Amino acid sequence: MESFEYASPGTLKEATALLGSSWSDAAILAGGTDLISMMKDYVVSPKRVVNIKHIKELGGVGKKGNALRIGATATFDELASNAAVRSDFPSIHKAVLGVASPQIRNMGTAGGDLCQRPRCWYYRTGNGLFGMKDGKSLVVNGENQYHGIFGSGNAYFVSPSSLGPALIALGATVKAVGPSGARDIKAEDFFIVPASENDREIALKPNEIVTEILIPTAATKNSTYEIRERDAIDWPVATASVALTMNGDSIRSARVVLGHVGPKPYVAKEAESFLAGKTISEDVAEQAGAAAVRAAKPLSKNEYKVQLAKVAVKRALLQASGKNV
Amino acid sequence: MGLNTGQVAGVQMADVSVDIETGRVRINKVVAVQDCGLVVNPRLAESQVYGALIMSCCAALVEERVMDQVTGRVLNADMEFYKLAGINDIGELVVHMDIAPEHDKRGIIGLGEPPAVGGVAAIANAAANAAGVRIPLVPLTPRHVLAAVAKNGRNA
Repeated sequence: MESFEYASPGTLKEATALLGSSWSDAAILAGGTDLISMMKDYVVSPKRVVNIKHIKELGGVGKKGNALRIGATATFDELASNAAVRSDFPSIHKAVLGVASPQIRNMGTAGGDLCQRPRCWYYRTGNGLFGMKDGKSLVVNGENQYHGIFGSGNAYFVSPSSLGPALIALGATVKAVGPSGARDIKAEDFFIVPASENDREIALKPNEIVTEILIPTAATKNSTYEIRERDAIDWPVATASVALTMNGDSIRSARVVLGHVGPKPYVAKEAESFLAGKTISEDVAEQAGAAAVRAAKPLSKNEYKVQLAKVAVKRALLQASGKNV
Repeated sequence: MGLNTGQVAGVQMADVSVDIETGRVRINKVVAVQDCGLVVNPRLAESQVYGALIMSCCAALVEERVMDQVTGRVLNADMEFYKLAGINDIGELVVHMDIAPEHDKRGIIGLGEPPAVGGVAAIANAAANAAGVRIPLVPLTPRHVLAAVAKNGRNA
């Protein structure tokens, strides 16, 4: 790895002042489970690394008004063992348990999960975020078995966030602080498709820090279903997070968000409108899954992910309605 | 006779479940019976066979070298994407050394590779039996299993 300057501020104000106006100026270190390996592989070489783990106000998980507050540096282990998360937000709980190694759960943070970089192996082997060579995409005709089925432009990588789909489904808000103050970003708007290889997959500015996530505690039936290739620690090949606002036995409104299928979590609008007014059954869940992937455009080696996304939606819906899948 | 022989025999058997919707193959149990002539240290010999079965599970389920055809670069040169099976993926392993006086007479023979040869085929055979369709490629990932099922499977 390249040499870098290290800073460990005690306050948010100091921390934001240490960040730069460009992404290459500084990188934020929290759990370090992503950043350090990228620095070792020379994928990123920030001039300065800013450790935010000593900023007390960024930690913790707990009630805040009518919301559940997840601090940016709260670890996945804190989320996994939190009683309110387990009882009210099984979709978050299941997404957290999907990160299958206790070591990663002990170190990895909620903010880091949102801000981590894609795992695309073309990106990680130094071909840039879009995996281009001589003006052509290496992904389209290459080893795209883990890439997006909802690609956008040249962005075929998949958003790696475990929490993202669940947070969008639950209508969460991400709070960010920069030199000019704090702002609220809807989870749905937090993830973006980068316009160029030098941009990020998130709506933050280079000198902003995620401080907390707020999930409204409105009663929903929610769940997350993850499909991966092995039980041991592994990236999902498809996930679905659903949140249902009920009217008795029927669904008043539904949120259905897919993970690991596109450069940002994919909001399956067609499935959402299909589900409105329905009662969950095996058949309805199956049809919602089919609706969710109707617009999918698989690449040469990832057609199977269309089926997996469909099944993930079906099983997440059945799970949310209390059935064992 | 001695440290090598053409007469080594062994058999591997597998019991697996296939989720026909996701293409996930789960190994429930793998049994190996192995002969290797005169067994000097049974625990050490069994341990070799356990290792061979674990390697079989890895190769059958997830292990794969992925190379980009344009750049010639190995894309999964790390333990994140060069996948091995974890303890939950391996299932129950049973090893039985075939120890008998007539084998002892043949002297000591090397061990390790023979039980790793048939394990993948045993697991793939079991997966084919469960899915009702031959899956012609390993590893038996959702991608390969679903492709075979879509072509020819019970759900087709």
